[in-house]
Amino acid sequence: MLLSVSVGEYLKNLFFDRLPFFPDNIRISLFIIMFCLIATLEIYLYVFLKKAKNKRDNYLNANWKEKISNMLSNIIIYGDEDDGLENVVNHFLPRFKKLPLKRKRVRNILIEEIRIYHSNFTGFTADVLKELFIKLELHKYTLEKLKSNYWEIQIEGIREIAQFWLYEYDQLVFALTDHEHEIVRMEAQTAHVRLNRDNPFKFLDNMRGRILPWHQLILFEIITKAKYVKIPSFVQWLGSPNDSVVIFCLKLIGYYQQLDALAEIVKLLKHPQEEIRKMSVWVIGKMEAEFVEEELLKIYPKETQKVKIEILSALGKISSGNYLSFLKDCLLTADFEIKMGATKAILGHGRKGKLMLQELQSIVPTKNQQIIAHVLDARI
Amino acid sequence: MEAGFYFFEQIFNSAIFYFALVVMASYIFLCFFSALEMKAYMRKNSFIDYREILVSPFAPSVSILAPAYNEEATIVDNVKSIMSLHYSNFEIIIINDGSKDHSLEKLIHAYQLEKVDFCVNEQLNHQPIRGIYKSRNSSYAKLIVIDKENGGKSDALNAGINVSSKDLLLCIDVDCIVEQDALLKLVKPYLEEKKRVIATGGVVRIANSCEVEDGRLVKVHMPKNIISRFQVLEYIRAFLMGRMAWSRLNGLLIISGAMGLFDKEIVIKCGGYSHETVGEDMELVVRMRRYMHDNNLKYQVVYIPDPLCWTESPVDFKILGRQRNRWTRGTIETLWTHRDLFFNPKYSILGMLSYPYWLFFEWLAPILEGIGIITFILLASFGKINWEFSLILFTMVYTFSILLSTIAVLFEERSYHQYTSGMDVLKLLLLAFIEPIVYHPLTIYWSIKGNIDKFTGKKNWGTMTRAGFTSNQKDKLETSSTQNLTTQQEQSV
Repeated sequence: MLLSVSVGEYLKNLFFDRLPFFPDNIRISLFIIMFCLIATLEIYLYVFLKKAKNKRDNYLNANWKEKISNMLSNIIIYGDEDDGLENVVNHFLPRFKKLPLKRKRVRNILIEEIRIYHSNFTGFTADVLKELFIKLELHKYTLEKLKSNYWEIQIEGIREIAQFWLYEYDQLVFALTDHEHEIVRMEAQTAHVRLNRDNPFKFLDNMRGRILPWHQLILFEIITKAKYVKIPSFVQWLGSPNDSVVIFCLKLIGYYQQLDALAEIVKLLKHPQEEIRKMSVWVIGKMEAEFVEEELLKIYPKETQKVKIEILSALGKISSGNYLSFLKDCLLTADFEIKMGATKAILGHGRKGKLMLQELQSIVPTKNQQIIAHVLDARI
Repeated sequence: MEAGFYFFEQIFNSAIFYFALVVMASYIFLCFFSALEMKAYMRKNSFIDYREILVSPFAPSVSILAPAYNEEATIVDNVKSIMSLHYSNFEIIIINDGSKDHSLEKLIHAYQLEKVDFCVNEQLNHQPIRGIYKSRNSSYAKLIVIDKENGGKSDALNAGINVSSKDLLLCIDVDCIVEQDALLKLVKPYLEEKKRVIATGGVVRIANSCEVEDGRLVKVHMPKNIISRFQVLEYIRAFLMGRMAWSRLNGLLIISGAMGLFDKEIVIKCGGYSHETVGEDMELVVRMRRYMHDNNLKYQVVYIPDPLCWTESPVDFKILGRQRNRWTRGTIETLWTHRDLFFNPKYSILGMLSYPYWLFFEWLAPILEGIGIITFILLASFGKINWEFSLILFTMVYTFSILLSTIAVLFEERSYHQYTSGMDVLKLLLLAFIEPIVYHPLTIYWSIKGNIDKFTGKKNWGTMTRAGFTSNQKDKLETSSTQNLTTQQEQSV
């Protein structure tokens, strides 16, 4: 007790009476000590209050989640298709209306649970869940989310519209396909592809920003996995001034084997962007377009190493046999990657290529023998 | 004489004091930038479905390189754990770096390996390869094992790079526990950054006392060993505060040797891992950055705050001392090799900020602290100390380091809160009070010793005795059988 009184008096004396007479560095130090102590205490308080709040939230959320999940499970178990959509929804609706939906916590849990259930079901159950979502007027909150100033909330709204196939709000989503925030833009574009039945790729016409590879990957997955997307001829965007649009469309052309695009793709072999030329060659190889082989050989000498390797790979995929001697000559270069690419392309010609490699093995230099052995080894 | 001494004392006091203030200010700035970066990352990725990368045919291809030396006790399980990573387009290259035990035989037996005629593209120098193995079993088609003469971690990684056939290189320590979605998260920056990403790293955490099942971490616990606990706090501070901030500034100089993803093309163009340093992880990143600057290429080095890799930390001071000694030598070697970066405007933030920061605050600060302590003792013995002022200065440094550690714990709580128990968090917070007076002086000592060893010509990595992970039926990970490992898995924090 005596000690605490004397420490208190000492600190009072230090900070109030003697402080003006200390040298600068000591005064600065005392200020920093005060700052650190107060900040540390505040962080302590924050950490433990936050922990307590989270614990309480988790408890409440778990209770509501369990209750709502049970109610939704009842729909799945007892909702009989023979009773008709309207009847099933009207039967369960009153119970859901009794939920305190004015409370944000309950409403958010309900929306999230319906969304999860909806994503796991198709057919009648999915239709019931969608109808329930609309009849509970939860879509109004979804539309409010689209107007939010926070991009994360806008994304939530976009995802809900896409999830519940709310076609009537497609134009609201389309307006966001040119949003200044790239993630909102990406989400809106993926949602638009799902929602618009007539012209789902309209946003490609006026794309201002670059479609990042991540965005392309997501869009590609959505497009190629979706059942009801109307696939256009992607050749119409190959002349886009936006390089990323061209690359993205090349990927889709390759995937959907749109052979009518080949003439335009050949023109892209002269494109100034290496990535576009490389992707064009990849598509040509994927479509096994034999008539383009000569064009590929024409551009080969002036191409970069990456495109050269892609050309060799394309020749291997086309495997017409017309350019085996060219591929054989490639083994004479000093570049390891080119030699490896050419050897693999020869093997791509099937039995004929394999025989050729076996013949070559006895006459080429040691390094090339090793490359051939490597390529011929099926385990590698 | 007296006047001269007084003048020296004044200058010395002021210089040390203002240097300390600058160090503190820099930490506050780092905290601020780190908070910004973490918030941005978590907002951006809170609703990302990483499975999109998993299934996409356009996901970048990755070679996982894992050097191994005398790892026979755990190598088979470690490889199994790596094979279970969530990713589709990848290959695993285990480099047996001339192990003296039966690591290779165990791998051959477990994975039905046989020697193949693999033609290696010799782009980087390394010790001769004795053989390359692939499995007869198509279930293990992704696995390649290189058996080579011993040459150290850098040499092994260079051999792995030559054998690799993919676009990105994930260099890991074979005995680390890697989170299953680590690759998905590390790859994402390569797909979404506007500048070319040349390297990414994730947070490395301490796995001591955690529960492990089938090579996977299933429950996180605070280490029971106090030395490991200190390191938990140190790692959180270093990764969540330091590296995230440098990532925000695009000024990162180091990606952990325990786990880092690199752009293969750039790694090869700048010559791969250096054999000349014991801090090869830092040196490579610095060299890659230099290469990009020298060739006027825009680039980025990215750190992500997800805890992606769990490593076992040293549990006694002797081993920890060796580790820190080596980190210091690695830092000195890298800074010396690239000394022309120092305040070189050609290298923008690398030359004007990152390099000077490392030089003054990572290398010089411990030396100055050491000199300060010795001077204090000398002055005290001559009766030249104002004890009240000294106590105030000491309290300032002490309270500031407590604040810094507390902020680190706050970051941990606000981000991935791996330590869910309130008691664990309390332990961490209380540790912040002990750490500056118990653990920190030791790190100063090891750092100074590292400097002395460097300047007296000591070059070796040092043998590290390390306890291994074992997971029994109850899967409680605790240290058990002792193995001798070369220190191939630590990195500067």
